[in-house]
Amino acid sequence: MLKYSLRRLLIGAGMLLALSMLIFVMLRLTPGDPIDAYIDPNVPMSPSDLVELRATLGLDQPLPVQYLAWLQQALTGNLGYSIQRPDQAVLGLVVSRVGPTVLLMGTAIVIAIIAGIATGIVSAVRRNSLADISFSVLAVTGISSPPFLSGLVGLYLFSVYFNWMPSGGMLTPGREFSLLDLIHHLILPASLLALAQTALIMRYMRGSMLEVLNLDYVRTARAKGVSEFWVITKHALRNALLPVITLIGSTIGLAIGGAIFIESVFNWPGMGLLMVTAVENRDYPVIMGSTLVIGACVIVVNLMTDLAYAAVDPRIKVG
Amino acid sequence: MLARTSTSSPGPLARAFERFRLNHAAICGVAIIVPMFLAILTYPLWWGFKPNDIDLLAMNAGPSAKHWFGTDGVGRDIFARVMDGGRISLLVALTSTIISAIIGFLVGAMSALAGRWADAVTMRFVDLVMTLPPVIFLLVLASIAGTGIWPTVFVISLLSWPLLARMVRSRLLELRERDFVMAARGMGAGLPHLLFRHGLPNSIDILVVFATLQIANAILLEAGLSFLGLGIAPPAASWGNMLNAARSTAVLEQYPWQWLFPGGALVTAVLAINFIGDGLRDAFDPRAELN
Amino acid sequence: MKRVSRLTYAAALAAMMATSALPAFVVPAQAATLSGGFDVGPGGFQGNFNPLAATSGFTWLSVYYEPLVTYDEKLQKVVGLLASSYEVSDDQQTYTFKLADAKWHDGKPFTAKDASFTLELAKNAKTGSVLAARLTAISSVEATDDKTLVIKLSAPSASLLDTLTKVMMLPEHALTQIPADQLAKNSWWSAAPVGTGPFKFGRYVTDQYVELTANTDYRGGKPALEKVINRYFANPAAAIAALRAGEIQFTYVDSNDLNTFRDNKDFRIIEGNSFVVNYLGFNHDSSIWKDLRVRQAVMYAINRDAIIQSLYGGAAKPANCGYVADQVVPQDIEAYAYDPEKAKKLLEEAGWDKINGNKPITLLTYYTTPLAANVMAAVQAMLAQVGINVTPRAVDTPTYNSIVLNPTPDVAQFQMVYAGLQNGPDPSSINVGLNEKQIPPAGPNVVRARMPELTKALDTALGETDATKRDARYQDVCKVMNAELPWGTLWVANRYGVASAKLKDFVWTPAPGGGPYQAHPEKWSIAD
Repeated sequence: MLKYSLRRLLIGAGMLLALSMLIFVMLRLTPGDPIDAYIDPNVPMSPSDLVELRATLGLDQPLPVQYLAWLQQALTGNLGYSIQRPDQAVLGLVVSRVGPTVLLMGTAIVIAIIAGIATGIVSAVRRNSLADISFSVLAVTGISSPPFLSGLVGLYLFSVYFNWMPSGGMLTPGREFSLLDLIHHLILPASLLALAQTALIMRYMRGSMLEVLNLDYVRTARAKGVSEFWVITKHALRNALLPVITLIGSTIGLAIGGAIFIESVFNWPGMGLLMVTAVENRDYPVIMGSTLVIGACVIVVNLMTDLAYAAVDPRIKVG
Repeated sequence: MLARTSTSSPGPLARAFERFRLNHAAICGVAIIVPMFLAILTYPLWWGFKPNDIDLLAMNAGPSAKHWFGTDGVGRDIFARVMDGGRISLLVALTSTIISAIIGFLVGAMSALAGRWADAVTMRFVDLVMTLPPVIFLLVLASIAGTGIWPTVFVISLLSWPLLARMVRSRLLELRERDFVMAARGMGAGLPHLLFRHGLPNSIDILVVFATLQIANAILLEAGLSFLGLGIAPPAASWGNMLNAARSTAVLEQYPWQWLFPGGALVTAVLAINFIGDGLRDAFDPRAELN
Repeated sequence: MKRVSRLTYAAALAAMMATSALPAFVVPAQAATLSGGFDVGPGGFQGNFNPLAATSGFTWLSVYYEPLVTYDEKLQKVVGLLASSYEVSDDQQTYTFKLADAKWHDGKPFTAKDASFTLELAKNAKTGSVLAARLTAISSVEATDDKTLVIKLSAPSASLLDTLTKVMMLPEHALTQIPADQLAKNSWWSAAPVGTGPFKFGRYVTDQYVELTANTDYRGGKPALEKVINRYFANPAAAIAALRAGEIQFTYVDSNDLNTFRDNKDFRIIEGNSFVVNYLGFNHDSSIWKDLRVRQAVMYAINRDAIIQSLYGGAAKPANCGYVADQVVPQDIEAYAYDPEKAKKLLEEAGWDKINGNKPITLLTYYTTPLAANVMAAVQAMLAQVGINVTPRAVDTPTYNSIVLNPTPDVAQFQMVYAGLQNGPDPSSINVGLNEKQIPPAGPNVVRARMPELTKALDTALGETDATKRDARYQDVCKVMNAELPWGTLWVANRYGVASAKLKDFVWTPAPGGGPYQAHPEKWSIAD
């Protein structure tokens, strides 16, 4: 097991190296560099003004030299400074974004699981009722709407029209931190982000519940005179949940994809927003840094999942 | 077709088709998407407005008998643009799906059938692409490729194939050790033979399901790219960049027809295609029974 | 499994509470706090704290920093701010500044040594200063006493004062220890910066907002507000939502989003000249624009009045040269009134069929707002009518700059641009975009205008040391532009901010780059 983990970690390190090269090359293929992003065409500076600025950033060096210089720093744990905001260290910028993103996505996933399972059960039990049909319609619309559109419409409805929710940000500016304030800012973006996953979980829950409700042991329980409520919550739900649980893992991908849009509409200070602005400004160090940090997380999580599977399931052998 | 299958013993494809036919949601999906397709393809024949004709005197007009879906900020007919945008959105979705299906299948099948070395190398590569954060991949790739139909197709295709490659590989890995493949190999069958005679028929169900669901995904991705200022650039219409008009609060609030109609078209199409995809998945699932 | 149902119940309850009960906790912002989206829109620069590196964002920076001199509220003349007065010698080469009696936020007095220290930093490109190239005319900076600063130039420069408005004074005692090349990376800028302005730095919450608190010792009087907050928005629609929800009291608003605020007594619309002239730039390195008649045809083919009326809601002035300000536009220039027949005739005379015919011409732009998309659509349709087939292509700013500033651009990618250039308050601003000496890589003459007559007119205007003759010189520039058409000039649009009606004495103007100008933040106040 130890040998296996070590080997996997070694491969992981190699992958990170390859990843950094890949993203480095991709970035240099992108038209425009950080200095180009700096110039406002309406209030232009002449390119010659910026020669020195480019030189200071080392952008005039040949590519392999630039890469090695970056790598040398990165190996000592120094991911450099943001170009767009030179007073911010990349590592600090990236790390400070992890919390808000995990909070937003975690909340969205929890909302999606709870709401998806609850509506799924109702739909299955009251099959073809008004509730079932309206849930189903909502679910399919939820899956099929682009997240930025639901974000914009949600923003308009709940913060401008009804004025129930703050229009963005994570905390009320100028006020001391309070949990309630955080929750108040969190609910709307998290719910909108949860929309697509809720819909997916609901549909699977409904299907698997319907299947289970027709199984013999559920019929037996009913025949024994167990009340319908207990039949559903105690007997059927347990088995119906199994396929849904495996699905939840795969919806995390949905959340990550939707997060860039929701974060940029609601100005949520997460990884998505950081990366979108970094790409817009060609902020190379920030892009490289966040790619590596995320890549490392993915590799470690994958390894842990595999180890956990092996620990739980005796049929799987690692090594 | 049906008449012939009923005389002989129905093959797996025919049985799948039969199962599909009995799936109400899937048939409903077909019933939505086919007329939509027809309308989009034929609209210049029966609709009087062109998608890029401006009319500054009739801008921001609501739906009427003349302009069914109203007009936009420079007086272009929204109906014509929804139709034309549908052409582009569906074109982007279809081509990118075909390309990513081909890449995904080839990479996955080669990985499974071309020996251990090829497997190790390709799978490491797939891992690498999948470790790259999708946001960065999407943004950087899109900035390199630029805007327009073909760059957008390129970006969406490159983003979508790794998942399929994995699914195809895991399906075909078990095939590798089966007798008939061993036999074919023993008789000196080349890689193309293995790929297309054995690999393809055995993963056709995965491909079909992937393709339908991916079309729906690609439509949404294109819309997302447009929102980020990439994707299809105006004044060419696509459902995604028409929706983008909702960024302006005036449009969102006062001229809702400018985003509701393309949004409705997009949601309906994605929905119908998802229904069909789910239907196909159930139809190919050997555990599902005809009742 | 009972747990699950209880959980769902609890969740439903929580969701209900969230939607119904929580609003009760929303307390209106304290009366003495002004929140705004000061860095929204074209003049803003979210996330930049370093005035030496600021290409824009001066509206916000000048709430806590101050330059020696600044523009007045109407952007018409340069007035003293940290300099209580200034004198220019007769040969235009010596500037003497008498400094005001000001104090830094940390209580130390502001002296001429601070001013000369700041100018040295600004002149030194190693600090990351974007002003360095514009200050090369300065040969020496000297603090003759605590309150007197003398700047000597190697040659007269008409734009020195304009550049000085963008040099925010920095405290020598706080920064002198930091090596020049480490200055930009120092965390001082966003952690504990010290200025002389009416508000002092409170805190920065990453990517969320910056909070300033009143500088009660401000020499212009104690500010009326206790706090000013600058909220960041990644999306302009969100800023408008926040304004309408009452969370902020001010933001920049795109002109096509103004409708919701018109006739609404809760809001005050602030209108101002953008000082940016929009134009269709012909790439003069491309053979298709060589014939003047083709360029004239483009002007006659576009119905600028209709675009201004319908898309800009009337809030733009058609431009027939680089300027629209009355004093620099001569009376007798061609107005290029909409005349598609004339355009067709001109194209026919020039032999457009042979020059280009119906081949698509890429029209490149970096404007990505919904308004710009509409303008491009209109321009495309109008040019198509006379037989010029353009394909708009909107790209992001770095891509645009990398294409147009490239010393050897790919002409096929870049035959025409839809762009803007600052044309005021100092009319010499457009020189860099048109003077032959400014062709990349030397400068940002992106259209590669090589017009000797125009270059001569610009050089003469720039070298004019007699202030009374300057307008006449720029009239000459206008006349040449109008006749030779280096650009297809379109219009100068107005820009807008919207402020809550509760704000009193709030001064804002959509200055290029955000200013600076005399905004008197110490007088801003907010009614309950």
